[in-house]
Amino acid sequence: MAAVKPSPVTAKRGETVDVLIIGAGPSGSVAAKHLSAAGFSVVTLEQGHWPDANNFPGRKTEFELVAQKQWHPNPNVRDLPRDYPVETSDSDINPLMFAGVGGSTTLYAGHWTPFLPSDFRVRTLDGIADDWPFTYEDLLPHLEEIEHEVGVSGLPGNPAYPPQNAFPTPPLPIGKAGRKAAEGLDKLGWHWWPGTNAIPSIPYNGLNPCVRRGTCMTGCPEGAKSTANITHWPHALKNGARLITGARVREIEVDERGLATGAVYIDENGRERRQNARIVVLCANGIGTPRLLLLSKSSRFPDGLANSSGLVGRRLMMHPFSAVLGVFNDPLDGWQGPFGQLIDSFEFYETDEKRGFVRGAKWGAMPGGGPLGATSFVGSKVFAEENAKVEDAWGANLHKLVDRRFNHMLIYGIIGEDLPEESNRVILDGKLTDSDGIPAPKIVYKVSDNSDKMLRFHVARCLDALGASGAIETQVVHQMRDTGWHLLGTCLMGDDPKKSVVDRWGRTHDVPNMYIFDGSAFPTSGGLNPTATIMSVALRQTKHLINERRNAEAA
Amino acid sequence: MTQIDQQVRTTFSGIADVLIPEAEGMPAASAVGVHKERLDHILALRPDLREAFFRGIASAHNRDPKSAAEELNAQDAAALSAIGLVASAGYYMSPRVRELIGYPGQEKRTYDAEAIPEYVANGMLKIVQDRGPIYRPTPKA
Repeated sequence: MAAVKPSPVTAKRGETVDVLIIGAGPSGSVAAKHLSAAGFSVVTLEQGHWPDANNFPGRKTEFELVAQKQWHPNPNVRDLPRDYPVETSDSDINPLMFAGVGGSTTLYAGHWTPFLPSDFRVRTLDGIADDWPFTYEDLLPHLEEIEHEVGVSGLPGNPAYPPQNAFPTPPLPIGKAGRKAAEGLDKLGWHWWPGTNAIPSIPYNGLNPCVRRGTCMTGCPEGAKSTANITHWPHALKNGARLITGARVREIEVDERGLATGAVYIDENGRERRQNARIVVLCANGIGTPRLLLLSKSSRFPDGLANSSGLVGRRLMMHPFSAVLGVFNDPLDGWQGPFGQLIDSFEFYETDEKRGFVRGAKWGAMPGGGPLGATSFVGSKVFAEENAKVEDAWGANLHKLVDRRFNHMLIYGIIGEDLPEESNRVILDGKLTDSDGIPAPKIVYKVSDNSDKMLRFHVARCLDALGASGAIETQVVHQMRDTGWHLLGTCLMGDDPKKSVVDRWGRTHDVPNMYIFDGSAFPTSGGLNPTATIMSVALRQTKHLINERRNAEAA
Repeated sequence: MTQIDQQVRTTFSGIADVLIPEAEGMPAASAVGVHKERLDHILALRPDLREAFFRGIASAHNRDPKSAAEELNAQDAAALSAIGLVASAGYYMSPRVRELIGYPGQEKRTYDAEAIPEYVANGMLKIVQDRGPIYRPTPKA
């Protein structure tokens, strides 16, 4: 089989390229930038479009209203043509994502929380789940490089992490809400640290500095939240990479030798097209990637591509999430950003079996939002009681509620580690399709007993913390449904081809010229926001592919 | 019924004032015009609300607004929710209401990124640091 001989020119339509990347989110963008810089000809297919910051609603009066629909992170709520629907009737959590250049980071809050050393050694330390085939220390150089591409803001010295290089931009203000949270944690002697965010505080790599508008999760109209359309694609395009938007991939094709030859996609005019490549890299997230593999059945791969282990789509992890709201007498400027994390706490992150569960969770303190936010969180109405009478939430009580809560709230978001279970999975739905008629994914997912106990423990500790901060009122939303921001684990990485889908370098065991560089390959989920680790792993795998180019198998 | 006519505005105004009355020093919903141009604006921004909104309004025509709202809450909560969101979104988009509650909207705020943060200057963070590492290191192979 031919090795890849990089051809440092922009790929032309119809030409067979060195590498085809599917998905222009965080992982695909890292791969595109670095592969093109190394001289590979690269084409990336992205089903969404380039985001237009002028369309983001953050500067508009109706910001809160449209955040609940057109800019909601749940594709089933947005219901836009470029989104694919997800069948969720058998899932406790709704998956969240966004189709476009930059992927779901378009709507993320920018919490930058790399996995900790223990996250790579869960089996060794806690006797459950799996160890990763590499360690925190192996990944650290790639993390530090990515942090300088992303423009992370933060303060070094966090005792929740081993020492590392300084962040490229200073920390963002924690504001009155962050200070209020920190005061309570200090009284209890618990860990906190000013938030580390993928939001620069000074101009950086094409990004503007954050102006604290507080609308991070509906797209940043200031161009101040780190998304790959700003930080990576200008470099990739300059290197000669080609990006085709509005391209919905239907199938990865293979030749008679079992090598991937490229992909069939539907362009935005509904025409079927084909992109041939010597190497194929999937970066379509923990639902999109297994969906595509399961769609790519053939006589040689009757159960879907790269699925001889039967694990494609299994072990879906989405991070069950609870939120705890505290109301204070003092005004906290609760609508001001960043809507990244003001401060975080890793006090209860590591396992203590006396708590009745294993692993742990990270807390992020966030501001309360605008007046409609007094009864909602990230576009979902959650803080209103069910079966309420009209006068409970309306009438004079509405005025009292807004007077009491608006500008006086802080919210702890609890991200608990989701342990892998083969029964939690992505399959193809038998009826539902996207707007191109391609079968939609169906999610089968149940929150585990371990997760339930973990979240209840953490909710109780957050209530302690808010009490110590002086909260006069609290409210808990246990296991919110619209919280599947983190789509992980559905194409397990490991050394044994019978028990995993990709090897330690992201290459599929079954198709030697096909790779998976997104969060699908994660053996475990950590108890924190995964984008930092997704991008770092993508960089690690990409560099290995570059270094091994002479030995790489290719169609 | 799918068009905003005077009857729709009148019925909506009545229910909106049940949901958002003049009280606690705040004006009623109709006093800031949620049933006027702002209603057209909100439904144009959120056409997904139209069906439930008009369904609820149709059931409330020529009825006492309070009892109509109570009945919707019991029998068609989605319709009352749509009417309530249209009313409250319009209300809190009103400049007068925003001024009264002290909400300038999602505005820009400048800050000095290079300034030493208060929590560093006053020693708060050093207390956290001085407690030492809390992570479990990678176990030796």
